[in-house]
Amino acid sequence: MFKAIVSASTLRDSLDAVSVLVDECKIRLNEEELSIRAVDPANVGMVDLTLEAAAFESYEADGGVIGVNLTRLEEVAGMANADDLIHLELDEETRKLHIEVEGLSYTLALIDPDSIRKEPDIPDLDLPAEITLEGAQLNRGITAADMVSDHIRLRVDETDETFHIEAEGDTDDVDLQLESEDLIALTAGPADSLFSLDYLKDMNKAIASDAEVRVELGEEFPVKLHYEFAEGLGTVTFMLAPRIQSE
Amino acid sequence: MGNADLRDVAAIEEVSFDSLAGSVVAVDAHNWLYRYLTTTVKFTADSVYTTGSGEEVANLVGVVQGLPKFFEHDVTPVLVFDGGVTDLKSDEVERRREQREKAEERRKEAAAAGDGVEAARLDARTQRLTDTIHETTRGLLDRLDVPYIEAPAEGEAQCAHMAARGDVDYAGSEDYDTMVFGAPRTLRQLTSKGDPELMDLQATLDEHGITYEQLVDVALLMGTDFNEGVSGYGPKTAVKAVKEHGDIWGVMEADDVYVENADRIRELFFDPPVTDEYDVDLDVDPDIDAARAYVVDEWEVDADEVERGFERIEESLVQTGLDDWT
Repeated sequence: MFKAIVSASTLRDSLDAVSVLVDECKIRLNEEELSIRAVDPANVGMVDLTLEAAAFESYEADGGVIGVNLTRLEEVAGMANADDLIHLELDEETRKLHIEVEGLSYTLALIDPDSIRKEPDIPDLDLPAEITLEGAQLNRGITAADMVSDHIRLRVDETDETFHIEAEGDTDDVDLQLESEDLIALTAGPADSLFSLDYLKDMNKAIASDAEVRVELGEEFPVKLHYEFAEGLGTVTFMLAPRIQSE
Repeated sequence: MGNADLRDVAAIEEVSFDSLAGSVVAVDAHNWLYRYLTTTVKFTADSVYTTGSGEEVANLVGVVQGLPKFFEHDVTPVLVFDGGVTDLKSDEVERRREQREKAEERRKEAAAAGDGVEAARLDARTQRLTDTIHETTRGLLDRLDVPYIEAPAEGEAQCAHMAARGDVDYAGSEDYDTMVFGAPRTLRQLTSKGDPELMDLQATLDEHGITYEQLVDVALLMGTDFNEGVSGYGPKTAVKAVKEHGDIWGVMEADDVYVENADRIRELFFDPPVTDEYDVDLDVDPDIDAARAYVVDEWEVDADEVERGFERIEESLVQTGLDDWT
């Protein structure tokens, strides 16, 4: 059983975070919250999303799992204005999701959850450095790095207590240096890892510029990016595997 | 190539390439390379893969196109090259040679008549593995650190043997005979754009309620690389007949039909010439620069033609996966 009413912007923020990595996903409709966990086909990027029942106008669910085509669901959600309410109701008989947006009814065929790629195990990592910054700052570093390279290096200078977003291109280099007073919080530790910009750019798109992003970083380890949406009732963790740094 | 009608007997399902991550596949090298050779020759100007002295090395383009798929999906290939041809198969080899010669004649006619498309199609069919292709394919695999072994006879039989012993997770071949040689799990369409399909021996036996020996007899009735098959015995009839009469001898007696060399061919499937003398290093550590130099400088293949493939291999080596941390 699943029946819910949610604002279009909240639904879209949720879907956007997942669709940067996969086209199809399983949605767990737990009693207290909706949750999605997915990893991209190459096993490089992962998303773990939770949207609490309180983030909905109304929410009733009993622990079922549905499989959805995200692209299609995003398109339907895109038919609404940000403040519009979207009504969702699962038809258990036909295994279809009925969606209503401002007089528009849409019946979405669901995908057999067993046919969707298995939900990933989350690596249990204890990362030594933690940087909290604004989405806009991260976005600025990523945009600059994208001008010169396909890869981005995230690094903490323990002595200076600074966070660096760097990229080395064939001819040009960029380095965005953020002092601890520029940041919302910084726990310095040995941290220096290289990542594919393709992935980080896509993840960054889902993060609002005024969101607080908590970055957990290590040396040649995956990075974790945590942020909240829907006034703190939705949480997202992205995890991205590093590239091997060649010297 | 094996008998394509066996497809209707085999239990086959599509699997995603992603689900194969971490596995090892014994790939029937000739079968695999042939696919790339035909497409390369068909769609690429021959100047791209011909050296100044006229040696054709389209295989190098093929190998560089084909391998990234394995690397990107964290699948380790072990390429298995055919050894000497078994006596039984000489008919098949002879037939292929005749076909090639016929195609070559038609190709010349088509080319003379100005029919480029037909000539290109036939050109693909006249491909064969030259000594240079044998040598350079291994030379490139050496530099890419991709393991390969030499089978005593049929490559697909050796692949099946390695899979049955559990030394590899899958055999990889388009050839349905691979399952008849006893490969528990065979991956097909490894060279295609999409996902491969998995041919499962036990599921096949279960589906029809037959034993492995009976499957071999079914194949013999339908025809294999080593015999013609009996006219009128398609997938359904063959399975039914073998189930009803127990084995091929029973079918031959009851239906008054005859399969030449049946005992020898059965023996070949049950106990093909294979070797246990292989020692493959699955820790693959390619030297991309050396491979590039070999292909582009030494064998004069256009750099543009192989650059993308080398980049894909390089990329797959530096990007780690999250599963490395679970």
